[in-house]
Amino acid sequence: MTYINGIGCISPQNTFRNDEFLKEVKEYATDKMLCIDPDYTKFLDPGAVRRMGRLLKFGTTAGLIALRDAGVETPGAISTATGFGLLDLSQKFLADVIATQEGVVSPTSFILSTHNTVSSNIALLCGCHAHNNTFSQRGFSFESALTDTAFMLQEGKQSVLIGAYDEVGQFAHAKFKHVGELRQEPCTSSDILSKENPGVIMGEGAAFFVLSKDKTANSYGSLSGHSTLFNPENADELRNWILDFLTAHQLQVEDIDVAALGYSGATKQDALTETVQDLFKQSTITAYKHLCGEYMTASAFGFWLACKMMKTNSVPDAVIIENRQRSPRVVLVYNSYKRYHSLMLFHAC
Amino acid sequence: MEIFIAGKGIITSIGNNVTEILDSLKKYKTGVGEITILPTGYAGKLPAAEVKYTNQQLSEISGLDISHSRTTFLSLLAARQAIADAAIPKFDSYKTGFISANTVGGMDKTENIFKEYLADSATLKLTETAYHDSGASTEVVAEVLGIKHHITTISTACSSSANAIMYGARLIKSRQLDIAVCGGTDSFSRFTLNGFHSLMILDSEPCKPYDENRKGLNLGEGAAYIVLVSERVAATLASQPLTKLSGYENANDAFHQTASSPEGKGNYLAMSGALRSSGLKPEDISYINLHGTGTSNNDLSEGVAIEQIFGTHIPPVSSTKPFTGHTLGACAAVEAVFSILCLEKGIILPHLRFTTKMKELNFEPCTKFLENQDVKHVMSNSFGFGGNCSSLIFSKARA
Amino acid sequence: MEELMQNLKHQIVEQLNLQQVKAEEICNEQNLFGPDGLGLDSIDALELIVLMQQKYGLKLANPADGQKIFQSVKTIAEYITQNQPK
Repeated sequence: MTYINGIGCISPQNTFRNDEFLKEVKEYATDKMLCIDPDYTKFLDPGAVRRMGRLLKFGTTAGLIALRDAGVETPGAISTATGFGLLDLSQKFLADVIATQEGVVSPTSFILSTHNTVSSNIALLCGCHAHNNTFSQRGFSFESALTDTAFMLQEGKQSVLIGAYDEVGQFAHAKFKHVGELRQEPCTSSDILSKENPGVIMGEGAAFFVLSKDKTANSYGSLSGHSTLFNPENADELRNWILDFLTAHQLQVEDIDVAALGYSGATKQDALTETVQDLFKQSTITAYKHLCGEYMTASAFGFWLACKMMKTNSVPDAVIIENRQRSPRVVLVYNSYKRYHSLMLFHAC
Repeated sequence: MEIFIAGKGIITSIGNNVTEILDSLKKYKTGVGEITILPTGYAGKLPAAEVKYTNQQLSEISGLDISHSRTTFLSLLAARQAIADAAIPKFDSYKTGFISANTVGGMDKTENIFKEYLADSATLKLTETAYHDSGASTEVVAEVLGIKHHITTISTACSSSANAIMYGARLIKSRQLDIAVCGGTDSFSRFTLNGFHSLMILDSEPCKPYDENRKGLNLGEGAAYIVLVSERVAATLASQPLTKLSGYENANDAFHQTASSPEGKGNYLAMSGALRSSGLKPEDISYINLHGTGTSNNDLSEGVAIEQIFGTHIPPVSSTKPFTGHTLGACAAVEAVFSILCLEKGIILPHLRFTTKMKELNFEPCTKFLENQDVKHVMSNSFGFGGNCSSLIFSKARA
Repeated sequence: MEELMQNLKHQIVEQLNLQQVKAEEICNEQNLFGPDGLGLDSIDALELIVLMQQKYGLKLANPADGQKIFQSVKTIAEYITQNQPK
C-alpha cells in the first residue's frame, strides 16, 4: 500500500492551509487564474527569495508545506513534474538576450530556468542527496512522477516527495489565446461546468505529496494505482481502459464513491469526459478545473482534492456536479489534457 | 532481471550514425569548430560542436515537416537508427516505451519569433510555438515510431538522458514494458549559448577538460538512443545482445544551484550507488567515460570523487566532450552509446587536447585510441545544474 | 569617490534585488560576501560582473578576479577609478 502522509498545495484557491478545505471559493472572470500567494517569508529565506520567480517560489513552498505536514525532514527521494517548466524565467532571459542583441546578460534567470530547479531547490533546502527527478510530458508529467515514485518505494525508500507545478506564463498565455483555446466570453470560472461557454481558463499551481509505504496518524488515504492512455481512438477505447483499470483493482463502477473529473471547458475533451461520467451512475460526480484552471499538471490538483475529501470525509459543494450522497471512501480521479488521459485511484484509511 | 541493449542510434557533430562516429573517434577528429548553422552574434568568436545540417536539410532527411523543432529532427533521426539497429522481430507485438530527455525543448523555434512576440504579442506564429515545451518532441517522435504504451520526457539538466535510461530500465524490470527506447536530444540554441556565456564557463577555444589550464566547456548538439529490452525479448533476437545495463544511480549534490561541492558529494554518491546497484567493485570497472565538461568546478569535483572511490587504482578515463561538445540533455545518451561501443569493440576512447595534469589530482586521462582491450564494465558519468548527478554502468552481456 | 560609492550601493541593491537591505545601510568597507558580510554568493559575483560591464564599461575576463575586486563597495570603487577609460 502507498499512503499519502503529507500534502501541500498552492493554487488559485486558498489551499495552502491544510486545516481548511475550500471554505470560500474564489471566482475568476478572466481567461487566467493565478495562484494565491501564502506568506513566503514563513517558508523561504529572504536571501533566496530575491532571485526566485513566481513558480520557483510557489513550487518550492508547496513542497516544503507537504514535508512539514508529513513531519518528514528529508525524504528518501524527490520526483517532480512540470509541463512548461519555469516559463517566466526562461522568457525573461530570452528577452534580455534579444534586448542586448546577445550582449551582456544577467545569468540569474538562466540559472534558475531549467526544469529541475524546483526539485533541486527543495533538495538543497532539506539536504536531500537521494534520487531527484523531473518529468515534463504534457498531460503525463505528474503521472510519470507517480510511476517513478512507485519505483522508489518498491526499492525501499521510506518516503518520497512527489509534486507537480506549472505557471500561467505570459508567453504560453499569449500562445493559447492566439490559438483560440482560451475562453473568449467573459464569464466566471464556475461556468466551465455549465458547458455553455466553451474555452478553457488557463490555470496554474503546485501540489506536493509525501508518499510512503507506512501509514501514519496524518495519513490522508492510500493511492491504489494510476494509469495513462495516450490518444484513444474513440470513446469506447477510453471507457474500456477505465473499466479494465477498475477490474485490475477488483472494483466495479458502483464501488466508486466519488469520481473527480477534469472538465476544463475544452469542447472535445469535455465531450469525452461526459462519456466517462456516464459510466458512474451511482457515484457522486465532482470536478476541479473550475477551481484551478487548465494546465498540463492539473491532475495533481485532482490528487489534492481526493486527499482532502478522504481525510475530511466530505465533498464540498463547490466541486459537486451530481450529488449521490456517497461518502468519499473510494475516489477515482479522471484527468485529461488534450490527447493525454489519466486515472488515479484512492482508498480512504 | 537483466536489461540488455539491443540497439543504438546517434547523431552528433562527429557523425550522423554509429559508423561515422566510430571513425571520427578513431581518427581523433573533433566536431568542435566555428559556428556556421546557428544564427548568432557569437559565430566566429566562440566554438561549438554543431550537427552540420540546416533545419531544412534535417526536415528532408527525417521526413518531418519544417515546422518542427531541431530538437525533434535530431531525436527522430537517432531513435529511428536505434530501432532499426535492434531489429526486434514482431516489434509491434510488444509493450514499448519511448523515454526521451531534453533541456530546452523547442527553444530553437521560440527564440526565432520571440522578438516579434515581444513587440506585439498578437503576432505570435502558431507553427513556431506549438513545440516549445519539452514533451513536444517526445510526443512527435513516439507517434512517428508508433510507440504508444509509455511516453515521457525527463528534464534534469545535463543528467537528463541518464535518468531516462534508468527510468526505462525500471519500467522493464517492473514488467510494465518489454522494450524501452531511451535517450535524449538537444539542439544548439542562442538561449543555451548566451546562458552558458553569462555564467562565464564557455571556453573561447576548443575545450580542454581535466587540464590544469582548462577554461570552460564548448556546447554541442545531438541526439542518441539505446534500445533496452527484457530477457524475454533478448532471447528472440537474431544476434544476441553483446551488452547490458548493469547498474545506475541518481543522486543529488544538494550544495548549490549550479556549482558542484568541492568534495564532489553528489558525484561520489552517484558513482558509488551505481557500483552498489551493479554488484561490482571499483576494480571491476575497465573504463570511465567522464562527465568532464572542462569547467574548473566540474572536473575538480568529479576528479576528487573518482579518487575517493577508486583510490590509486584508477581505470583508464576520458571525456569525449572534446569531440562532441557538451550536448546537455543528450550527453548521457551520447556517452552511453560510446560506452557500449567500448564494450562491443574492446576499445578505450581518447581524450583530446590534454597537456597538463591538474595539480589537485593524481591521475590523467587516456589520450590514445586503444584497441584490443579487455573491456568488461564501463562507467559513464553525467552531472548537471541543480546538483543532479547520475552514473550508469554498462557491462558485457557475458562477462 | 564618495559619490561613486553611493551610486554603487544603489546599483548593487537593484542588480541583486536585495529586498532586505537598504543602500544607505551598506558600509563602504563592509564585506559583501560571506556570512559576516552581506552574504552574497557566486551567482551574485556573476551579477556584479554584469553590473561592472553595463554601468562602467569594465570587462572582467576572469571571474576569479572578482574575488578581490568585489570585497567591498570601496574596493569596487577603487577598481573602477583605476580602470575606467577616461
